[in-house]
Amino acid sequence: MSTAGGSQYTELFDNATLKQIERMRLRPLRRLTNRARGEHLSGKGGSSTDFADYRDYAVGDDLRYVDWNIFARLQRPFIKQFQHEEEMHVVLLVDGSTSMLSGDKFLRARQAAAAFGVMGLLNLERVSVYGIHSAGEQPAVFPPSTGRTKMRLLLSFLERMEGGGSIPLEQSIELMLRFHRGRGIAVLLSDFLTLGDLSRPLNMLYSSGLEPWGLQILSEAEVAPDVEGDLRFVDSETGTTLDITNAAELLSVYQQQRRQLERYLDAQCRRRQGRFLSVSTGVDLEQLLKDRLCRQGWVLR
Amino acid sequence: MSAGMGAAMTWPSFVNPLGAVLFLAAIPLVILYFLKLRRPRVEIPSLVLWQSVVNDQRVNSPFQKFRRNLLLLLQLLILTLLVLALTQPFIGSAAGTAEFTPILIDCSASMSAIDPATGETRLSLILDQVRERINNLRSDQQFALFTFASTGRRLTEFTNDRRVLLQALESIEATDLPAQLDDVLRMAAAYTTSFPIREVILLTDGNLPESVEFELPFSLQVKRLQVQGANLGITEMTARRDGKDGWELFIRITGASEELQTAELQLYQNGEQIFTERISAAAGDGERLVFPIETDTLALVEARLIPAGEDVLETDNRCWLTLPATRSLQVLTLGQLTTWQRAVNVLDGVEQEVVTGGVPDQTEYDLIISDGEIPEGINAPVTLFVDVIPEDLSGLIEKREDVCTVTDWNRTAPLLQHVSLGDVQIGEQPAWGPEIGLRELEERGYEVLAEGNAGPLLLQKREGLKTTWWFTFHTDRSTLPYRVGFPILAANAVNSSLKQAALSEVSAAPTGVLPALQLDAGQDYQVEAPDGSLTAVRSGMTGLLTGIGASEVGQYRVRDGNDVVSIVGTGLLSLSETSLSAVDELRFAEVQVDTDATIRLETDRPLWWGLALGAFVVMLVEWWYFQRVRGVVD
Repeated sequence: MSTAGGSQYTELFDNATLKQIERMRLRPLRRLTNRARGEHLSGKGGSSTDFADYRDYAVGDDLRYVDWNIFARLQRPFIKQFQHEEEMHVVLLVDGSTSMLSGDKFLRARQAAAAFGVMGLLNLERVSVYGIHSAGEQPAVFPPSTGRTKMRLLLSFLERMEGGGSIPLEQSIELMLRFHRGRGIAVLLSDFLTLGDLSRPLNMLYSSGLEPWGLQILSEAEVAPDVEGDLRFVDSETGTTLDITNAAELLSVYQQQRRQLERYLDAQCRRRQGRFLSVSTGVDLEQLLKDRLCRQGWVLR
Repeated sequence: MSAGMGAAMTWPSFVNPLGAVLFLAAIPLVILYFLKLRRPRVEIPSLVLWQSVVNDQRVNSPFQKFRRNLLLLLQLLILTLLVLALTQPFIGSAAGTAEFTPILIDCSASMSAIDPATGETRLSLILDQVRERINNLRSDQQFALFTFASTGRRLTEFTNDRRVLLQALESIEATDLPAQLDDVLRMAAAYTTSFPIREVILLTDGNLPESVEFELPFSLQVKRLQVQGANLGITEMTARRDGKDGWELFIRITGASEELQTAELQLYQNGEQIFTERISAAAGDGERLVFPIETDTLALVEARLIPAGEDVLETDNRCWLTLPATRSLQVLTLGQLTTWQRAVNVLDGVEQEVVTGGVPDQTEYDLIISDGEIPEGINAPVTLFVDVIPEDLSGLIEKREDVCTVTDWNRTAPLLQHVSLGDVQIGEQPAWGPEIGLRELEERGYEVLAEGNAGPLLLQKREGLKTTWWFTFHTDRSTLPYRVGFPILAANAVNSSLKQAALSEVSAAPTGVLPALQLDAGQDYQVEAPDGSLTAVRSGMTGLLTGIGASEVGQYRVRDGNDVVSIVGTGLLSLSETSLSAVDELRFAEVQVDTDATIRLETDRPLWWGLALGAFVVMLVEWWYFQRVRGVVD
């Protein structure tokens, strides 16, 4: 344990939680290799000693990987595939727009990013963090790093991260992809409340070799709004207004729309070999990590 | 004349249709609604979810659109209700919608009768109807309230001030007087010159005289209460001199219902009970009772009727009669009137003093018969002059030396009752002056009782309690003393004097105005009514006290300081009031009016208050729905 006794290692969570996080590992659906290594899992198999699978021989395959025992019995050549441990990028995109500042959404997003980052660093993944909050400004970037030695820097980066801006999530993803190179997983920590189309940025993520992991963080007021009467809603980011009459009567439709958005985002992520989870800030961090994320297979304990 | 209850209700009419112009306010209301709709601003992180909610097809269904503009619809509804209330719609009654309506309310004695069904007096039932009508008074309507019993009384001018009308209504009480319509109708008619009165509403129990000598200048709508009840009452109380020291008291008891009712009649003389008699009477079958009263002094007799069963009217159960002290009639004969002296002398109960050229012994007499001027200071309520022409008629009547006969005479006059003057020859001829006729005499207050072929032969003049007769010829120069009618004529003069002096017959005084009292001249008195109220009065120069109102049954005491100088009792003594009968038809000059026997007085039913109440309720709903504490999303 690298935390100093008697004082908190980070402001984002206490030392006990950090200790638990250090024992967790990310569990990507696919282990997308880093392009910099020049290897592709599906094309060439792995170089490790762990057997993975067989596949039919194709012209041009390396004859060294033909399983000659099988060939002797079946008179057909099969290529033996092996798993190998590759360097995986863990890209953490923290939505710092104004909408994330309501409630504890931004804090919870930074806490989750810290947890994912710690898990990645300690598992020797290449962890990078992008804090994007405004369209006209450069994102705050924690460059790809690995190892326990970077944990302090990562946590400090997240502690200092500022929010407030009006950049929509789809633009944040595209902005992040301008800076990032490397395959792995991209954890999108946002409320996903955008009027734009997320298909394109998710496609870009997918084509960039990043599994889109969407963690939607909503405040309790967004999950179960307590409103009634005629109201004029003002968008915290854009300042645009929307008149609602008899809001209490529309809450059931609101919940349906929220669940529909969840299903849509879940489908978008799964379609691109990713994951999606929607959580409320009412769910504390420990419950999120140990219960929700473990149960959903995001992390291993 | 009166409208029936069965007339169907019509569509609502509007008192102020111009108020509908305010419907135009809906235009700025709608504009302001969309421009100035103040909604609480709630900042939320993102509109994404709510935008999708708004875009939801279900939210945009027609019903939801309706709900979205519910506030506007409610405001339009409130505006509509308020504007409709402002136009003052009402459902007109069949009674019509006259703008200026006098309401005549019967306050006669029968109105204090208690309705057995409700336990309330008839007046209360009618006042309830009037109160309802006043409460439903439209702004363009004005009422004037009148009450009537034996006379009319105006309570308010024409006004639409409900407070004034209701206040006046509260002051109305039933009196102990019989109903007479003439007076109040004349009062209402007097307003027709100032106000466009088309209709007058008369509220009564129907206990009215059938015939009214009045020409209606307006439509009279008579609303009659349909109430019943049994009643017994004293309708007559008189006394006739019986011998020297006694009276015969006559009392008539009348019932109101067809069934025979029983009661106990108690007689009190100066507060001491002297007779008790059980009687029974029914409508049209009254009972007349005779009681001997032995007294030669002033006595106050009270009759009390105590019914055994139901009796809805109490005021006719008591009556008072003052019996004067008995004495002989004092007659003074002045001058050479031998025939008259002899004729009077033979009559009973008469003390005659004959003075020929001297001075009378007394100053006060009951009857003076004179052939010339009466010495100053000598008074009598009844005077008979023979061969005297009144001073104020000198020049109008002149005497001629000729013979005349009687051409006509008033056979019903008390003096000439049972007297035939047909073949009387008169040796002188009173004649009209040049271009003088009956009219000139009537203008001076004279009544010609007998007329000859050239002029008046017998004149009569009444001044207060005084009655004076003038024979314009000397009876001794006629054949009259030789006629059988002459002693009758003298007896009539004596009888009239006896009545005038209340020595032969007295009647109980009915409510209304107390009988004239002879008291000291020019003296201040106080009259104490049965309810204890005092009224200051002053006797006239002749000592006559007249015109004292007596609207209550009971004893009226005339006080001179602390001394009671006279007690006069009154009773209702009205056959029509006691019988509680209701007339179905009133006969006016040239017109007849049916009395509408409906229980309720039809009134316009204004709807504005209902609409205003509706608007208020809608406003409360709107306030509750839209102004309650809202949840706010941070």
